[in-house]
Amino acid sequence: MMTENRSVAGAPEKQVTVIINGKKYLAGEGEILLGVAVREKIPIPHLCYESSLDPYGACRLCMVSVAKHGRQEMTTSCTLRATEGLELVTDTPEIVKHRNILFELYLAEAPKSEIIKAMAARYGVTKTRFLKKIDTTDSLGNKCVLCGLCVRACNEIMGAGAIGFVNRGPYTVVNTPYAEPTKDCYGCAACAKVCPTNAVEFEDRGSERVMTSWSGTKVPLARCDCCGGYYAPKALAISTLAHITPSLREEIAALCPVCRGKRIARDEILAGTGGAGHHG
Amino acid sequence: MKIRTEADLISVRQAGLQKLQPGKPRIAVGLATCGIAVGGNRVYERLREIIGKEGLDITLVKTGCIGYCKEEPLVNITLPGNPLVILHKVTEADAEEIIKQVRKGKVPAKKAQCRVPAWDHVTGCTIEYGKGFPKIPLYEKVPFFKGQKKVILRNAGLINPEDIDEYIAVGGYAAAHRALTGMGPDAILSEVEKSGLRGRGGAGFPTGQKWRITRDEKADKKYIICNADEGDPGAYMNRNEMESDPHMLIEGMIIGAYAMGAEDGLIYIRAEYPLAIERLKIAIAQAREYGILGKDIFGTGFSFDIGIAKGAGAFVCGESTALVASIEGRTGRPHPRPPRLTDIGGGLFGYPTDLNNVETWCNVPVIITNGSGWYAKIGSKGNTGTKVFSLVGKVDRVGLVEVPLGTTLGTIVSEIGNGGANNKRVKAVQTGGPSGGCIPARLFDTPVDYESLNKAGSIMGSGGIVVMDEDTDMVDIARYFINFATGESCGKCVPCREGLKHTLLLLNRIMAKKGTKKDLETLALLSDTIVATSLCGLGQTAPNPVLTTLAYFKEEYDALVKP
Repeated sequence: MMTENRSVAGAPEKQVTVIINGKKYLAGEGEILLGVAVREKIPIPHLCYESSLDPYGACRLCMVSVAKHGRQEMTTSCTLRATEGLELVTDTPEIVKHRNILFELYLAEAPKSEIIKAMAARYGVTKTRFLKKIDTTDSLGNKCVLCGLCVRACNEIMGAGAIGFVNRGPYTVVNTPYAEPTKDCYGCAACAKVCPTNAVEFEDRGSERVMTSWSGTKVPLARCDCCGGYYAPKALAISTLAHITPSLREEIAALCPVCRGKRIARDEILAGTGGAGHHG
Repeated sequence: MKIRTEADLISVRQAGLQKLQPGKPRIAVGLATCGIAVGGNRVYERLREIIGKEGLDITLVKTGCIGYCKEEPLVNITLPGNPLVILHKVTEADAEEIIKQVRKGKVPAKKAQCRVPAWDHVTGCTIEYGKGFPKIPLYEKVPFFKGQKKVILRNAGLINPEDIDEYIAVGGYAAAHRALTGMGPDAILSEVEKSGLRGRGGAGFPTGQKWRITRDEKADKKYIICNADEGDPGAYMNRNEMESDPHMLIEGMIIGAYAMGAEDGLIYIRAEYPLAIERLKIAIAQAREYGILGKDIFGTGFSFDIGIAKGAGAFVCGESTALVASIEGRTGRPHPRPPRLTDIGGGLFGYPTDLNNVETWCNVPVIITNGSGWYAKIGSKGNTGTKVFSLVGKVDRVGLVEVPLGTTLGTIVSEIGNGGANNKRVKAVQTGGPSGGCIPARLFDTPVDYESLNKAGSIMGSGGIVVMDEDTDMVDIARYFINFATGESCGKCVPCREGLKHTLLLLNRIMAKKGTKKDLETLALLSDTIVATSLCGLGQTAPNPVLTTLAYFKEEYDALVKP
């Protein structure tokens, strides 16, 4: 698998100069150009980019124009890697023309998404010529743009594989297998966290987390031994605690983060160490 | 028995020739899927029944298809010392008469389409059948065959695809033997490069160059894959190549594997081709039996084997990165390139992988046998060799047509295909399937090569040619292909997934006479954006049917819309 930033792979990062809209910027060699733009606050719209995942290239909004073999070529900046002297322009008339159509497609695909509306409006697109897709049974509230970030976070980061793409083409949706509650879900809600349009919904109801968007999948929550509050998905809490080193002291392992903090503070005061610290 | 030396190969060849010309009557029924569909199996069964019942000394075999779909079922008869005679439109009711005539040393005159006194199997082997039956037209006088040049289809419909001996009899595996025992990988690569062979899957990338890139990549393992995910509506070249001459594909892959240093090959074939899969399995087993596949091929120490991976019916899986994802058990969705398949990390299971279309592999044995110089003389400059096309739609002579690249569309449609069916005027052809475009009849002097078709707004594609006549509604054609592409879009990127859907909705509205001039503008704008911004080849080419019909048949759109 390719890593997002080659420096992570161990090799010392070589700096190169890239030229964006006529201005010079420093970038790591092989760094994703969209990442450079995000860092330098150069506005390039994007929906499917996440720096901790491999380049994906699905939303097509981050198109830039690159000088290649003496002519300008349109390509996605989320799949473009920095090389010395790479020169690109973010807003050619061609890019603007195509991007506006793409925004219109997004407005029709996710008509309930305020985020999409605001993003499109920033680029001057407020209306769509295309038929809006309204599905009253959509568990993602007609806000999903199928960028795939939730699926990838679930599969590639969490390793849970609880959700995936169902069907293909315009019938594609994201859901659990057979649209049934799944035992594979940790309830971590990384899917909701990465969703660029806030389409993924979940709710903590008493001792359970209900993933409303994912076929009503229910995940049991861990209960704090001290305050009795529910603080994290149980399976996730157990597996996380099993993997941290040094491990937590047994008497605080079953506490919620707030109570844990209180207990540590109390212990330290009692011990009168003034901060020499237990390993938490 | 394992074949090691040339002498081994020659002894098998003798046995194979005995099967082709057994010194007694041989009846061969064309049983590719096309022949079976029109009742070929019933003809075969009836013939077998009669021969069995009467205990006749007649050889009955299955062959593939010679390509003349319109005239199927086809049966060919070899009587010792006489030309091979091709019978057409044979039904089981004709079986008695066929046997009766054959017993008399004759053929049923009414069913005879043509005779073949001698057949050049191109790979240095010409089979002399004999003179006789002067009243039956010669093969080369039949208008459908006259303009063709059979290189890839040299054995199709003549040899038994389920018998490796017959393939070896007509010069098969001689190229692989020579390549592995007498040529180094460099010499093979250079021959393929010099031949000018370009990828037959549609894009036309130079095959030799792709092989060299794969060969030069440093990795402890490499794969080669045959793309047999033929999915264009109306295209069945690859199906027939595999059903009629599976060993040709296997031989091409062995040579390629040796040149690139790969020990594992895969054929990615759509599950909708059960007969091709069955025949490939038989062929692979037979090749292993002879030591042509497996460990220590021809005793050279080189090992290579082929497995079959079945596709689950997604058009997009013909795209290289989606194909690999499908084989690996992931969803068939393309990813941006690079990494390309040939790169480390980009190919199958992360190993450098060479992917070629069925017909590309099929070209290899003949290049090695006859040399790149011979091959490069066929076709036109930059577009060497022959190409098989499936000529279908509203054309009189439907069939598989093999011609040198650079042959004009007019020659294929008017001369070989005899123009429109039922004497209708031909209006246009669609080349390259849903990724191609409609080319109007006034541009029929366009040579069929990669560049000229691109210039006309279409593509070569894998070789489907769909003919449209004066009754064809071109807007409806565009809608048909967009409907196909919409359903086959993987759904990953927005221009293809949503753009094609809205293209289809617009076309539906226009067809229902509810569209406006404004809709036509939107249609053109949207098509441009889909072409310019889609992630993979499917989306980038899917609007071509709309763009070309808008360019060449605008009046048909105008007639449907309100101002």
